[in-house]
Amino acid sequence: MWQLDSGTIITVITILASSIGIVLGCVVPAFVEGKAVVKALEGIARQPDAANDLRTTLLISMALLESTAIYSLLVILVLLFANPLLDRFFG
Amino acid sequence: MEGISAQVVFTLFGLPITDTVVSTWVMMAILILAAILMRKFKPEAAEWIIEMINGIVGSVMPEDTRVVKYLPLLGTLALFLTLGNIFSIFPLMVSPTANINTPLAISLVIFFAVHFYGIKEKGFIGYFKDLASPIFIFPLEIVSQVSRTLSLTLRLFGNVLSTDLVVIIVFSLIPFILPIPLAVLGMLTGVLQAYIFTVLASLYIASAVEIETVEEERRALKQEVRPSS
Repeated sequence: MWQLDSGTIITVITILASSIGIVLGCVVPAFVEGKAVVKALEGIARQPDAANDLRTTLLISMALLESTAIYSLLVILVLLFANPLLDRFFG
Repeated sequence: MEGISAQVVFTLFGLPITDTVVSTWVMMAILILAAILMRKFKPEAAEWIIEMINGIVGSVMPEDTRVVKYLPLLGTLALFLTLGNIFSIFPLMVSPTANINTPLAISLVIFFAVHFYGIKEKGFIGYFKDLASPIFIFPLEIVSQVSRTLSLTLRLFGNVLSTDLVVIIVFSLIPFILPIPLAVLGMLTGVLQAYIFTVLASLYIASAVEIETVEEERRALKQEVRPSS
């Protein structure tokens, strides 16, 4: 049916994969971070004295959760800007 | 692509000097100048900054550690990263941490500093004995040491790079007013990332130094329990 060369097919698949990947990589950590924030806010509302400890722990754990989103972003940046598979065809 | 890869500005004795290096030099000059000026004209501001970093580092370290011992490394780290993450708001400059080499170098410094402080506190034998307290933990411990260095690198790099990229993309679409709130958001993220990097580094150093006090407590507890029983 279509006469596409392999470079085009790989480019199209890369674009599709990176858009699906960035959506998943944004949505899942956002939900999980929201859960963490809800729990921390409940804790602060129940016990305002512990707010400082909770805030420090919350910031650290948020950074650790956020880093998974950053990993997927980095993989997708590599796929888009420095695709190692394309070099096989246009080396 | 221009936002991601470093541009070569000029060549020095056959060595390519990228814009990241030039930005780092400018940043170093600003930091040193600020330190000298602050010492001369406003010592109380410098005191405030040092108190703040001391509080941040002291809040994650165990109670009885002398934070002052680790303050030169961690304080320098905090100042460097705070300025480095927001440095792309200055005209003609790029953030040094948006190039993967700078975060990797800083993480490697932390990696070696953790073992250095651990060996210095407990001695060579004692440190490795604590590292492999049940012996089958030792390979896992090595994996965790390497992966924690990698995750420190990638977290800092990815956060700074992504906020810079967002500003660049929006600027190329609408170069009017709209990039300013995004740049402010990027500054906020940058300061937060500097805070988190410092806190994690002090946590890692504390975990390398701390185990001894736990052991001592356990030993003291045993000695307390033994006579009574």
